[in-house]
Amino acid sequence: MSERDDHDLRDRFQQLRREDMAGVTPFHAALAAAAARRPASPRPPALRLAAAAAVIAALAVAVVVATRGRHGMAIDLARAPWEVPSDFLLQVPGAELLRTVPELGRVTLPFHYVDTDWRTP
Amino acid sequence: MSPDALELELERLHAAAFGWALACCAGDRAAAEDALQASYLKILDQSARFDGRASFRTWLFGVVRRTAAEQWRRAALRRLLPLAVLEAAPDGRPDPAVALARAEATRRLEAALASLSRRQREVLHLVFYQDLSIAEAAAVAGISVGTARTHYERGKAALRRLLEEEGNERT
Repeated sequence: MSERDDHDLRDRFQQLRREDMAGVTPFHAALAAAAARRPASPRPPALRLAAAAAVIAALAVAVVVATRGRHGMAIDLARAPWEVPSDFLLQVPGAELLRTVPELGRVTLPFHYVDTDWRTP
Repeated sequence: MSPDALELELERLHAAAFGWALACCAGDRAAAEDALQASYLKILDQSARFDGRASFRTWLFGVVRRTAAEQWRRAALRRLLPLAVLEAAPDGRPDPAVALARAEATRRLEAALASLSRRQREVLHLVFYQDLSIAEAAAVAGISVGTARTHYERGKAALRRLLEEEGNERT
């Protein structure tokens, strides 16, 4: 792109600018129109904060009311099947000893070599 | 900056700011005046404050650009609402009477600009119409200098091609 082309484009834009400026509203008229758009009684910051707090409180109340009637499904913890991943560590030989009540004169071990009628001679 | 100094600066840049607002509103004069007034209101009410990080002109153009975009979004929302048919919202096109009064070359330029992307149009306007540097244009458009340079180069090439094509069709 040559400088001449840039000048050509710049000239076109400046022509556009001259035409745009032909009907521009005077500054003070624009400023007065801007001032006229201002609300009659602008809210002070404290009032804005109070309004925001009221909206947040109303939302919080709405959320509480909406969720009050909802109850989650009751879970019976006593019946709930649950297997501990480390259960296998408790499956050792002789574990029955831990689950049964020992009785005098009787051995409940599952080992075959144990004679349950064993008596002291 | 004191309110008096602020007003003086705004007055000095009023015409340029109107031109920029016009570019941001796709040539719609009513929408441009609306955006400019809303920008002045933001500045006077200090909801937009000049912090001195950029030049006053760059900052003012940024405020105008954001305000025009807000108004465009609001107008688009109004058009979506069912009650929008009851009010005559501007459609973003230039006033036909104004368009008729335009010089032929200017109308060709506007038509070609309308074919470019928004970013390209913005950067070319800021550089050629407002005499800003590419770095200043980048600051106004909120993009990096490298991106602005790319938009500038591609926009220039596309604009020249469009103007030449139209010139060839007319001859």
